[in-house]
Amino acid sequence: MKKIPIIMDCDPGHDDALALLWALSEPEKLELRAVTIVAGNQTLEKTTRNALRVLTFAGANHVPVAMGADHPLMRPSIFEEGVTEMVHGQSGLDGPAMPDPGFAPVELSALQLLIKTIEESQEKITLVPTGPLTNIAALFLVRPDLKGKIERISLMGGGAYTGNWTPAAEYNIFVDPEAASIVFNSGVPIIMAGLDVTHQAYITREENEQLRQKGGRIAVFAAELIDFFSRYHYEVEKLPGCTIHDACAVAYLCHPEIFTGKQCHVDIELAGSLTAGTTVCDPVDYEGKEKNATVLYGVDREKFSELFIQAMSKLDQ
Amino acid sequence: MAKIPLIIDCDPGHDDAIALMLAASASDLFDIKAVTTVGGAQSVDKTYYNARRVLAAIGLDVPVARGAAQPMVRKALGGTEIVHGQSGLDGPALPEPEGEPCPLTAFELLCQVLEEVEEPVTICPTGPMTNMGILLAVRPDLKKKIKQFSIMGGGFYMGNWTAAAEFNILADPEAAKILFDSGIPIIMSGLDVTHKAYVTREENEVLRQNGNRCSVLAAELIDYFSRYHYEVEKLPGCTLHDPCAVAYLLAPEIFSGKPCHVEIDVDGTYTLGKTVVDWFGHTGKEKNVLVLYDVNRPAFVKLLTEQLARLR
Repeated sequence: MKKIPIIMDCDPGHDDALALLWALSEPEKLELRAVTIVAGNQTLEKTTRNALRVLTFAGANHVPVAMGADHPLMRPSIFEEGVTEMVHGQSGLDGPAMPDPGFAPVELSALQLLIKTIEESQEKITLVPTGPLTNIAALFLVRPDLKGKIERISLMGGGAYTGNWTPAAEYNIFVDPEAASIVFNSGVPIIMAGLDVTHQAYITREENEQLRQKGGRIAVFAAELIDFFSRYHYEVEKLPGCTIHDACAVAYLCHPEIFTGKQCHVDIELAGSLTAGTTVCDPVDYEGKEKNATVLYGVDREKFSELFIQAMSKLDQ
Repeated sequence: MAKIPLIIDCDPGHDDAIALMLAASASDLFDIKAVTTVGGAQSVDKTYYNARRVLAAIGLDVPVARGAAQPMVRKALGGTEIVHGQSGLDGPALPEPEGEPCPLTAFELLCQVLEEVEEPVTICPTGPMTNMGILLAVRPDLKKKIKQFSIMGGGFYMGNWTAAAEFNILADPEAAKILFDSGIPIIMSGLDVTHKAYVTREENEVLRQNGNRCSVLAAELIDYFSRYHYEVEKLPGCTLHDPCAVAYLLAPEIFSGKPCHVEIDVDGTYTLGKTVVDWFGHTGKEKNVLVLYDVNRPAFVKLLTEQLARLR
């Protein structure tokens, strides 16, 4: 199989960290060309430091990392108010012990690194955004000509049936709805791993113990990330396990066969006082608009969990 | 056991007609005080006429009044012919209305019934909420005479008129907002549950084989109505939206619901008319609605089939 060249655009964040590790664990399928950082789960300084620490810990110092947007395109930041600490902690990646970063971000901005990586690539690039879509929107605003060199966008964000930050909106879209609107209207094919599927992609306590018992340093690290992250899922959201949202955007690229999805038109609501940031999905096609996204609706959960544990323990070998 | 005093506010409409039949079939449980009609599935002149024709077919003698012709603030949606036909109730032959038309408007009849009753009334709105919005806005003193609303409207996981909004709410979002913000307990049969309350072709034949006039009429209504479900919506059967609001009162045990805070979007570009359901309790606001999300479908079909057999 031909490798898929990807750029991950993220805001680590526990599930971003697990998504990065999963991407690194399947080098026969994915080639991680660059990592660009956005503010989201925490401030840009913190999410950048977290990405560097995770990549250092995984021995991936060769991957270029660039700092991107520190605030949404138009709206005020919500991540500087300390509101995300209940999910990801003070550092944005609380829980396990980690080394300090073993390398620095490149001298380029995220926008410059995106442009450079896409321009230099022989093949079309797949983008994997797992935070607010500010950097990707900036790319499309500044260099719309590069859309043709993007194969597709496999993103974590949104949700047809519910939100997780407001009743109607998921966090990544809610933070920067205008950016999301630019991306969803870009014409580039989108695979949307929203809450419809990520709420099904959970790891139970028993499965996390199986992961820990693999014993390797990455496996234990991943299990400890889940220990911290899952507290919010169990205590606040009353979910049946740790929902590793962002990992779905990577897992889909490696194992599309375990997911089910539907081609839909998706609009991003910008105006509604109750609904700003909602991904308005039209699976029945009532509105007859162009189908701009594949909305993932289901996943074989047990297979997902098995593949996740396998991916984490593979990095220890 | 004392009967439940009931008002049905509707826009017949195939599924409204079956909801009326279901309510009439349970004369041991319901004391139907009035039927009020609203523009929606068709103009209010047509829905009023249709309601009277359906009641003539059932042989149910209750006051029927014509209500709002237009939404409270917006223009009527239109475009419903593909679902309900030109008459709003295309398909089977129906008798002409019996008796004299009610001299009262829906608003007047609602006020009269609510002023007279001792025990608070349950209201089933199965069309746009305009009559309810007007009532609650103009006569808030009568809220204490309303025990609960069991409505058909909205939906948590999707819409059916736009991607985000269900028809009854979208048709008059401001009226729906007044109802949802009223403080009166609400049971919401939205698309989450009504898309699970369907009748297959085989089950419709069983209903028809009841042989009584009303069962055959219901089967013929389903014949017509289901074409939209099969051909446009690609659903597995005829979805009996409105009867859910009545069936819940008859057999709450076959439904599953979750108390949630629900608000109506009135200013979204793409989400206008959406029932914004706080499923996970993110807002911490008062749980004003029992959101029905599942039904034991075989039990629902059995209930419908058995109840309609009791009519003439």
